[in-house]
Amino acid sequence: MILNIFGFLMMAFSAMALGLLFIGIARKVVARVQKRIGPPFYQPYLDVLKLFTKNSITHGFIFDFGAIMAFGGMITTLFFVPVGPFVLYGMNGTLLLVIYLMAVAYLGMAMATVGSGNPLASVGISRALTQMLGYELPFIVVLLTLIYSSNTSSIIGIVQAQQSGFMNWNLINIPIGTAVAFIALLGLMGKKPFDAPVAPSEIASGPVVEHGGKYLAFIMLQHAVSVVVKTALFVDLFLGGGNNIFIFIVKMLIVWLLAALIGSIFPRFKVEEGVLFYWRWPLIAALLQAVIIIF
Amino acid sequence: MNNKYESNKWQEVINWVQKRSLFMLHYCTGCGAIELPPTMTSRYDMSRFGIGPAATPRQADILLITGYLSTKTLRRVIYTYEQMQDPKFVMGFGSCTINGGMYWDSYNTIKQLDKYIPVDLYIAGCMPRPEAILEGFLKLKEKIETGNADGYKKYNKEYETYKKNQEKVLGEVKRRQ
Amino acid sequence: MRSENELIELLNRDLNLLSVKKLRKQNISIRLENEELVSGLNYLKSHSYIHLATISCVDWIEDNQFELIYHLFSYEDKISLSVKTKINRQKSRFVTIKNLWGVAKYYERDIHDFFGIKFTGNDNMDELILENWNEIPPMRKDFKTRQYVDKKYDWRQYHGQE
Repeated sequence: MILNIFGFLMMAFSAMALGLLFIGIARKVVARVQKRIGPPFYQPYLDVLKLFTKNSITHGFIFDFGAIMAFGGMITTLFFVPVGPFVLYGMNGTLLLVIYLMAVAYLGMAMATVGSGNPLASVGISRALTQMLGYELPFIVVLLTLIYSSNTSSIIGIVQAQQSGFMNWNLINIPIGTAVAFIALLGLMGKKPFDAPVAPSEIASGPVVEHGGKYLAFIMLQHAVSVVVKTALFVDLFLGGGNNIFIFIVKMLIVWLLAALIGSIFPRFKVEEGVLFYWRWPLIAALLQAVIIIF
Repeated sequence: MNNKYESNKWQEVINWVQKRSLFMLHYCTGCGAIELPPTMTSRYDMSRFGIGPAATPRQADILLITGYLSTKTLRRVIYTYEQMQDPKFVMGFGSCTINGGMYWDSYNTIKQLDKYIPVDLYIAGCMPRPEAILEGFLKLKEKIETGNADGYKKYNKEYETYKKNQEKVLGEVKRRQ
Repeated sequence: MRSENELIELLNRDLNLLSVKKLRKQNISIRLENEELVSGLNYLKSHSYIHLATISCVDWIEDNQFELIYHLFSYEDKISLSVKTKINRQKSRFVTIKNLWGVAKYYERDIHDFFGIKFTGNDNMDELILENWNEIPPMRKDFKTRQYVDKKYDWRQYHGQE
């Protein structure tokens, strides 16, 4: 029991550290793409530490609760996603559970928004939830295809089905679906073509407009964990997972850097353009992939 | 030198962290606003010092006043400043914030910013070029590390004096809760 | 498309001009009586001068007069036309033209801010640009800027200064 709690805490803290490291590396890479030197790779750690040393102002109980719910929701999601050899829950149905749990973080943000009462935050969170409608539809179609083809809805089961070599990866088995899932992943992580919810120059960073000090630090940690969760989920589902933690982290880093590079060269979609984009080509491609796999 | 901090190791660590990560909020009045995009982008790249833009006063550490302030904008600057969370630092750009600059006899432009909000650092020039701005940021980081950038403490301590000065110019100013 | 001379001919025929001046290419200024200004602007608006760029004001303190200048532009003639009229400085009251151009109500509030001229028919004369102003309007020539600045703001003291 004690050991279990210790394991959970270790996993949560290492996910935060890893996520912040990933964000730092991505900032450096994006800076090099733009011919800048960029901040050092440990800059996100300093940012979070600094935010914890600042005073912070609360906007009432709902605001506090929303920030905790966003952070806790993302940590909970982490426990159901196998990261390399660390598997906490392996029962059937975890894949669907993870999809549901990811929405909890957004709902937490929405609660904090309601608590803060800032109109820009409302605009931001309504954009985020609208965009969720967009990317979830093709993503769910791909996941159902995946569940059908590997005959299980547990993530660890899908990972084990791909173990016997590169040719068994779902990247090879369902290539169109992988591409669609990657495009959905961009929206899921809020990377550049689909970052209308947090557009800093238009709606002043959207849902987090009233977050300062330790509240912003929690949101940054939540973002760091979400990076780990989402890239790990992608690696588990399509890139064969990994028994070795280092190989797994390298795979995650490749996925994350690919997303960061795509983000560094694209401008921003308007939110309705983003939704329409997802409902057009990715959805058609996902349905096509489903038809190919089923028949 | 503030002796209170020299003995306190924990405060030194906090100062070091705060020095290395500064989010800035630019209140873009006047002509200094145009000097900031080159300072932020590829040519001068201030992000290598850990300085980045913030979108809202709640998240920001530095408030940049980039030029002259009319009394009407001064009111907004004061409200913005009071929304920021401690520790917070203010930088005044150019001669307009120092002594009025070319607006020295204008009926509607304030002559010295530090009467109304505490200014940690002035950058001289009309307008300072990006090199001067970067130099100013490095100076501010030095001041933060030694604990000398304590304008926000002065504001809390001498709140009534500042409010009196503000009320002289603006008539009526909201007080913080 | 009228040339400048054709326009001057037309205006001389239809309006009761006090004076007309061709300032430079595509730039004409005319002067009208107070009473005829609104009808004159109405006439010009129906003759393709549909754009009211701004309303400006000059304080002729020796003549005891304010001069109001309405800057019009025609997209057909490509001529900008300044319509001027002088009003009494003591009375400092004129009629609004917000029924001709809706935007004029803001220009008139602006002029009320800086010169203290009231416009009959334009009821909303709240401060548009200034805040909490309780001196005489600042753009009047008898407003002593330096005195006001000395009273309101503190000059920065430098070392070694008297």
